Amino acid sequence: MDLAALADRLRRITVEITHDGHGVGAGVVWAPELVVTNAHVIHGPRVLVRGADRHPREGLVVSADRAADLALVRVRGLDLLPAARGTDGGVAVGALIVALGHPLGVPGAVTRGIVHAVGAITPGGRAWIQADLKLAPGNSGGPLADAGGRVVGVNAMIVGGLALAIPVSEVRLFARSTGVPVP
Amino acid sequence: MDRLLDLSDQLAAAVQRAGQSVVAVHGRPRVPSTGIHWRPGLIVTANHTLQADEDLTVTSPTGESARVTVVGRDPGLDIAILRASESAVPVAEVGDSNAVRVGHMVLAVGAGPRASWGVISAIGAASSRRAESDVFSLDLRLYPGFSGGPLVDARGAVVGVNTSGASRHLHLAIPANAVNRVVDVVVRHGRVPHAYLGVSTQQIPLPEGVRAEGEAGRDRAVIVVEVQPGSPAAAGLLVGDVILSLDGVAITDPLDLRGALRPERIGQRVTASVLRAGRVLEVSLTVGERPDRAR
Repeated sequence: MDLAALADRLRRITVEITHDGHGVGAGVVWAPELVVTNAHVIHGPRVLVRGADRHPREGLVVSADRAADLALVRVRGLDLLPAARGTDGGVAVGALIVALGHPLGVPGAVTRGIVHAVGAITPGGRAWIQADLKLAPGNSGGPLADAGGRVVGVNAMIVGGLALAIPVSEVRLFARSTGVPVP
Repeated sequence: MDRLLDLSDQLAAAVQRAGQSVVAVHGRPRVPSTGIHWRPGLIVTANHTLQADEDLTVTSPTGESARVTVVGRDPGLDIAILRASESAVPVAEVGDSNAVRVGHMVLAVGAGPRASWGVISAIGAASSRRAESDVFSLDLRLYPGFSGGPLVDARGAVVGVNTSGASRHLHLAIPANAVNRVVDVVVRHGRVPHAYLGVSTQQIPLPEGVRAEGEAGRDRAVIVVEVQPGSPAAAGLLVGDVILSLDGVAITDPLDLRGALRPERIGQRVTASVLRAGRVLEVSLTVGERPDRAR
């Protein structure tokens, strides 16, 4: 697989999330008709979700955890296959990673970088995948994937030029905690 | 075979390999810098990250702390060399930085290990301060604490020492071969001696006639305003001489002169091209070691 094929694969599991003209975020297809994103991307019970076909569909927020900064959205009729997922253990410092999202409104943009470090930024803080990778507003909620196209994190914020992503294990715990049957 | 996965594995292996020889250097408040176990017992770091000469410690990748002492500082290259008495940290594999080309993929490794990735964007003097040694300009991000850490090639060999400079805006690496020359001097002398000629200089615009003969675009040189008695310069330079170049390297300001006087040149002959009384002369001088407490 080359980078173009990897980007294509990620475009098929990444959605765009908007509210009536309010900002733009990204989401990852986690299970059939279910999308995970950042809670800070969500500003109400309903969102507008677009897949790579750009067809707008209504998304209903199933659960949003502000502390974890994660949300689960149900999108009826979303015909996208769920993302392949990696494991936290597969994320080595220096490994190639790719983010897909809609930075500054550019739909389906790919950026590449490496894992900078894994763990807390400050002692006792929450664990992040810290990536040496360019993110911008519009990447939030989108996938961070390894070189094999497996999602290893959900991009959440930029601190001091570093991209911070929520590790996939934490996303899995959150998805299960919602009570919605997800794998 | 999957090229992307292979590349990813190779980058991660390079970080892991280089990271074994990397220590955190506690020489300033807050963010520690990075150091490299360069030769047995000698740790190289960025000079600007050591705010004092005393009470310095390093932390190994496995978390052990050790006291270190400063063996020498080379502010011109922004390199400092520390001595650690005993260390379980493996010595870094230092590569040949002459093999590095513009466009080569490189990694910067900080204590942790932490890493960033990019390419060599240019090779050459980034500023007049480093006339004698080319530096690598990097298209990669040096995060806080990365100064003093290794620039690593795709195989994991150390090809340079990263520094953001005191300004924190630069993204540079001092080539490993230049660092080796300083380390060689330290091994031989037990310290970094400072080379000098014994002149004070000021920048001046070159007179029109001389400018025409010089290289294109060069319109400045330095004028000698003081010659210290008994210094190397006293053997051949006079107050009022205009130094145009040293061993063919153009001198356009006093920092060029300082940059050209590397520690490893002490004892060597250099030829200064000098404008005196309207004529250009070649003056041969022997680079000396600046005595302590002399300016």
